[in-house]
Amino acid sequence: MKRIRISRCGSQLLAQPAPRRPLCPYAAGLQRNITPHSQRIQSRLQSTTATSDEFELEEGEQAQAGRSRRSRLETKHTPLEALPSPHPSAAERSSKLAALRSRLSLPQRFPLQTLARTLVHPSADPNPAFNNASLSALGSNLLGYYTTEHLLCNYPRLPMSVVFAAEYAYIGPKALATIASEWGIEAVAEPGGEVDPGLLQFKRLRPGDDVPAALRRQAPWKWNVTTTHKILTSDEFGTPTPFGSASLPKNEPVPLEDSAQSFVRALIGSLHLHLGRPLVKRFFRDHFLSRHLDLSTLFDFRTPTRDLSRLCAREGFEAPVARLISETGRLSRHPVFIVGVYSGKDKLGEGAGSSLDEARVRAAAAALKGWYLYKPVEVTVPSSTEGELDSSKWRPNMVDCGEVIV
Amino acid sequence: MMSTCTPLLRICSRAPRPSLLPFTQSRHESTTRRHKKLMHLPEAPSYTPNRSAPTLIFNPPSSTPSVYHTPLKFLPQDDRRRKLYSDALTYSSAAAHRRQTSALAAPGTPLHTASHLPPKPSAALPPPVRAPYDKKYHLQAAEIEQMRALRLSDPNLWTRVRLAEKFGCSQFFVGLVVKVPEKAERVERGHQRVRDGWGERRRGAREDRRRRKDLWGRDE
Repeated sequence: MKRIRISRCGSQLLAQPAPRRPLCPYAAGLQRNITPHSQRIQSRLQSTTATSDEFELEEGEQAQAGRSRRSRLETKHTPLEALPSPHPSAAERSSKLAALRSRLSLPQRFPLQTLARTLVHPSADPNPAFNNASLSALGSNLLGYYTTEHLLCNYPRLPMSVVFAAEYAYIGPKALATIASEWGIEAVAEPGGEVDPGLLQFKRLRPGDDVPAALRRQAPWKWNVTTTHKILTSDEFGTPTPFGSASLPKNEPVPLEDSAQSFVRALIGSLHLHLGRPLVKRFFRDHFLSRHLDLSTLFDFRTPTRDLSRLCAREGFEAPVARLISETGRLSRHPVFIVGVYSGKDKLGEGAGSSLDEARVRAAAAALKGWYLYKPVEVTVPSSTEGELDSSKWRPNMVDCGEVIV
Repeated sequence: MMSTCTPLLRICSRAPRPSLLPFTQSRHESTTRRHKKLMHLPEAPSYTPNRSAPTLIFNPPSSTPSVYHTPLKFLPQDDRRRKLYSDALTYSSAAAHRRQTSALAAPGTPLHTASHLPPKPSAALPPPVRAPYDKKYHLQAAEIEQMRALRLSDPNLWTRVRLAEKFGCSQFFVGLVVKVPEKAERVERGHQRVRDGWGERRRGAREDRRRRKDLWGRDE
């Protein structure tokens, strides 16, 4: 899994000591307009507020850069169609953005300009001060962190491949695109400065065109990529190359799924920056963890009986014995056998099948699932103690010795 | 031709010939009243609450146990559910003992009619599907050498089955000790020749069977 340090992540994004790039000029005005709700948020915003000398720096830089750098301060003179993405000032007038904010139950202090910025994919606007690339990187790490800790603390015995699959099901590209469409996000036909900022801005892939090479699933560079290798070097889904548009060339058209997932990630990142950690966690619980995922369907055992006997030998239980609990129609066309796997006098699992072998294998698979899907009664996720001085509520989580290796 | 056109009733009416239809009707009691009384099942206790106030009825159909209910043996030592499991076990066995049928209520006695009760708790486990065995680890190096020599001398005579019987081990172990690739290839070629003779239906059925077998481990 990826190791991230959230606090550093956020501070790096917020504090831009040397503005080599032009800052969004409306960021300053927007942050001044906010009435701070709590002392903590106020102090954090003040520490990162773009000050007036940054404006001077920016203007000086613009003078140096000359014609190559686009000046958004002089929007009155440039036509809207010349801008690659909608102007930040248009966010206040967009009814779609206001509707989206209230539909997601976000508080009023979450600015519409930021919400508009999360909707701009780098393929529409390559300028990093106006697109959502940085917010998306932060949001991706936050999503991965919260999902991983939820899975690992609640199901400490899950095999690593199942953890990867569950992460993909919770926060994979397809899941995020589905979430975005459920939130009612609509995409533009063609990005530009004149369109409504409440639409997802990205350059569409024309029908029949190939997906850009950076987004394609690449074959692993080695044929024997081990689980350890996946844990150490890959992203949270165990894929060899990370998803996302980090290495995407500028102005390259992308599929809708990629731009939608970058929006959801950027929204999480911006919520973290504007509203703070507790609200992001609540948002994550409401919109991501609330989606039902049956973890027991993610397993795929090849030799369950062998795995189970290895497990029993490892844990010091008696060797598992399959016992016929009941049966019907043994000589008919559709017999049903119910077989239980017992270790000593304890039943480990039960399975039904139309042959004795099938029932036995299913019972062994059920017993293995019973082992792997163990859930502790009390769980304290690590992120629940972040920023709290009182650590008495912390209970150490169970750490299992790992899956069965045959 | 004539026999297929014969109506069903005529087959049944012929008494001396053994009927092809199953004879299922049976009555275990001597009178209709006793038989109806026997058939009258008491309602499930959850449907006949002893209070008039509305209660929640939880009576799920019988189904496979959920895999999210970790068996007692798989719980860690410090888990609080261990105590709950043992409490539930003592309660259920005590309740079943309380409602147990008396020893007099054998079939055929008048007490038999009221004996629709849960099965008695028994300590006996169900019979094993396959005879359980222990690994013996009894073969020494000399016997393994002998096994290898026999198999290589005449693979057609000393097959894996014969060697496994002779040395009291499994066929899998014989395969581990000595491999005869030429014979394996020959046998495989013969199987392939048979498979090539299959028609579409048989091949499809075999493929489906293999696909279904893959689903066993996925529990679908």
